[in-house]
Amino acid sequence: MQTYNDVAGAIFDFLLAPFGHDFALFDLVLWPAVMGVAALQVYKHVSNQRAIARVKKQISMHLLEIRLFRNDIAQVLKSTGAILVKNTVYIGHNLLPMAVMLVPMVAVMVQLVAHYAYAPSRPGSVELLHLTLAPTASVSPRDVSLKLPPGVTLDAPAVRTADGQVFWRVRAEQPGDHVLQVSVGGEIFEKGWAVGGEPRKVPVKRLRSWEALLYPGEAAIPSGAPVLSLELGMNVRPLAYLPDGELGILIWAMVLSMLAGFALKDLFGVTL
Amino acid sequence: MKALEIRPAAAARTLGVAFGVFVFGAGNAHGYIGPGAGFALGGSMLVLLVTFALAFAILATWPIRLVVRLIRVGNPYKNALTKRVVILGLDGMDPGLTTKFIREGRLPNFQKLAERGVFRPLDTSLPSMSPVAWSTFATGTDASHHGIYDFLTRDPCTYGPMLSSTHLGSAKKVLNIGRYLVPLEKPRMKLLQKSQHFWKLLGDKHIFSVIQRVPITFPPVPFKNGLLLSGMCVPDLRGSQGTFSFFSTESEAGKAKFIGGEQTVLRRKGRVIRSRLVGPDHTVLASGGRMTLPFTLTIAEDGGSARLEIDGAEAVSLKIGEYSDWIELRFKAGLGIRVSGIAKFYLISVSPHVNLYMTPIHIDPENPAMPISHPEVYAIYLAKKQGKFATLGLAEDTWSLNNRVIDEKIFFDQAMSIYEERERMFLDAVKQSKSGLVTTVFDTTDRIQHMFYRYLDPTHPANAGKDTEEWKDAIGQVYERVDALVGKVWNLIEDPNTVFMVISDHGFTNFRRGVNINSWLRDNGYLFLKDENRRTSGEYFDGIDWSRTRAFALGLTGIFINRKGREKSGIVAEGAEYRQLVQELAQKLEQMIDPATGKGCVRRVAISQQFFRGPYRFDAPDLLVGWEGGYRNSWECATGQVTEEVITDNTRSWSGDHCVDPSIVPGVFFCNRAASEEKPRLIDIPASVMRLFGQEIPRYMQGRMILPEEPADATVRGMLDPTTLEQSGAAPGALIFPPVERRASGQS
Repeated sequence: MQTYNDVAGAIFDFLLAPFGHDFALFDLVLWPAVMGVAALQVYKHVSNQRAIARVKKQISMHLLEIRLFRNDIAQVLKSTGAILVKNTVYIGHNLLPMAVMLVPMVAVMVQLVAHYAYAPSRPGSVELLHLTLAPTASVSPRDVSLKLPPGVTLDAPAVRTADGQVFWRVRAEQPGDHVLQVSVGGEIFEKGWAVGGEPRKVPVKRLRSWEALLYPGEAAIPSGAPVLSLELGMNVRPLAYLPDGELGILIWAMVLSMLAGFALKDLFGVTL
Repeated sequence: MKALEIRPAAAARTLGVAFGVFVFGAGNAHGYIGPGAGFALGGSMLVLLVTFALAFAILATWPIRLVVRLIRVGNPYKNALTKRVVILGLDGMDPGLTTKFIREGRLPNFQKLAERGVFRPLDTSLPSMSPVAWSTFATGTDASHHGIYDFLTRDPCTYGPMLSSTHLGSAKKVLNIGRYLVPLEKPRMKLLQKSQHFWKLLGDKHIFSVIQRVPITFPPVPFKNGLLLSGMCVPDLRGSQGTFSFFSTESEAGKAKFIGGEQTVLRRKGRVIRSRLVGPDHTVLASGGRMTLPFTLTIAEDGGSARLEIDGAEAVSLKIGEYSDWIELRFKAGLGIRVSGIAKFYLISVSPHVNLYMTPIHIDPENPAMPISHPEVYAIYLAKKQGKFATLGLAEDTWSLNNRVIDEKIFFDQAMSIYEERERMFLDAVKQSKSGLVTTVFDTTDRIQHMFYRYLDPTHPANAGKDTEEWKDAIGQVYERVDALVGKVWNLIEDPNTVFMVISDHGFTNFRRGVNINSWLRDNGYLFLKDENRRTSGEYFDGIDWSRTRAFALGLTGIFINRKGREKSGIVAEGAEYRQLVQELAQKLEQMIDPATGKGCVRRVAISQQFFRGPYRFDAPDLLVGWEGGYRNSWECATGQVTEEVITDNTRSWSGDHCVDPSIVPGVFFCNRAASEEKPRLIDIPASVMRLFGQEIPRYMQGRMILPEEPADATVRGMLDPTTLEQSGAAPGALIFPPVERRASGQS
């Protein structure tokens, strides 16, 4: 998992932001469009194009049937039922290409989110550092402590809950890429914190599970470690004309890739 | 190393991400599905949304529409004698031939229909040809009311030919942008047929109709409560009535070997041939020209097939002696516009010469370049339901067989494949319509008889140098096919509330001799050429001296008088001069003798002004020649040409015809109910349908009810007596009824 994140991170660090992170629009338009084209190719070669064309034709035929025989209620109901059945068949034909497309699409979107969804914290801002212990960990929340680097101060004492969670309010006094160190039963876990400076790829979460693949900004927590996640609240990066934040970028990338796919499907001879 | 720990929540989320996105729309994760799911989700959700919106709107408004309908017209079937009428039109089905085949036991379903109901000859229209007759069927009026007298008429301003039924014009308002002409309006299309269709009247009364392929319904005229697919006179994508293409490596002096159609001489390089399909005119390009599509034909190594790759279409494999499926041809018109048509290919041979035939390019029903149905989406619906189908009005390519570009087998296969498309379409309409009117017209019977009639006549002039054995039962086979269709329909309508009729617009007779009336007019001093040293003219009256010509013939039966005030250079004054001339011509024509037989070749000449009473009689040809069986206007006469000879042998494959005196070629009338009239007429059918649905017969209609309104009126039933036929089924020279039977019936 970490190896994958390292390799994918290196590749996308090279591919993304060729003009720096200031110009997010370039990547956020180019890569979803490229994804759309790639998805078309996958769809073309993986899906049963004839069957999809056939079922789509049947669906539109039944839609026309509803319109043409609108005074025949029995026919309208029959056609409506037929559309529901054919629509299910259509979705069925989409499962395989969808499954095949899932991995590369996720890989690209994860990197777009990592690069553009969050902004470094402003100097002077206060954020919440949140640690979750693994349920199987033998360490108590009382055995967890935080060591702060210069430029970062503790704003309030740690809060520990009985279910294995620990919270710290930390203040960024100076800009820089700080590293916070959390000691859990003597084992040290680091958490990066980007404060001030130019927009850049900022660390948000460190995770132990496979979900670390979705947050490649920092190294994954090794499996077997007593910590499940280590998370720092980060500011959403405002993107002038685009939806921002993790969800905003995901929706934008999905919509744009879809639009690119629909716009270019005829060019590539793909039936969607 | 510890095993990977999977949290239930994360696993559930993964599944949700992968497959549950359609159901669970919330959360960030669904975004990761990306376009794959997006395509499916977008498409499916849109379909569901549209479906439910449409269904809801229809279901929600149905009670309102029902109430409105009840207030406006009441129960449309309140006085109806039947709930459903199914009319199967079989163009050209001949009562004599039908009787012969029934007697031979080949048409059991027609026999059953006649025995349970009635079979009689059906009086046809004057003149007895499809555009006229089916217009009479559609409107319930004669030609002087619906204005269709032939396929062609002359333009009185130019004497040139024009289609009688349809005006096809280009858009007048165009925006000129450099090399492009952008039309600002739709091309002008108009149905020239007058009066109104009886299904419009039914629609106004909320009686639903499905009308398929009835001739002279292009462009389709909108009407309420019904669907219509246009028939005869729908043009091909080039705007013609059917231009085939023939590609061949064979040539004579570097030119194409055959005449007619679009001929292309191919150049072969090894096994590969590259050429172009010629499509419609460029209307968007200011420079004009034709749209073309490049194609590559690669002959297989074994020589038994070829691979055809057309620009923009899927590659197909063509086997020698087999038709391809319909292939979509998408021509680039410029400005990103594409014009879509469909065609079938037939690889005739690859050695020693490559010969490839392509049907005319039909308008693609799934993406029609011009409206061919009402509503416009009806054709699209049919195409989506049953696949692409022939849309050209005269879909069976008689021209190419007439010019011997293709042979009987290729033509027959084509005609039957078109027949199968229409059969599917018709049976589906019958299944779907539980009430109202379903009408369809099959052309197959007409086309096969036109092209195979010579097989019934061993002495036919067209037999010279052609096969006379292999296809001698082609007509019988087609009659058997339509008999099977009658059986299928019968199975679908086994209820007492359906009236089922089988009708034809005319019958058939032999076409052995062609008469050029223009040449006869020349010989008798009614038509003059500008060059007095010449005796012949070009097509469409090229070289005619209109300042002296008093009469001319164009089309299949009509003679026009060069009338002052009507024709551009008219010289015959209205009144006595006109009346005297038409009388004189009629008398002389009725005395015309064929020197080869010593017998008369005209049975009757109808003078339009005496015969017709309708508002459009002034547009009629002034004389309509009713030929004896065996005769017809010659091919050259039909195109306004003057030839040396007046009467010549017809040597073309088009060897049977019906453009003769209407009394010779009645159609057929079958019904699953007994009739009330002994002599039904085509013009009576719409009036009868109106009465069957409990509607008054409009006063302009010239027909009457021929089916019983009271049980006591059901007096006409059973089989037809062929001795009552003037000639149909016993055409001159054609061996149809055994000689003994013909003597017994008193026919000569």
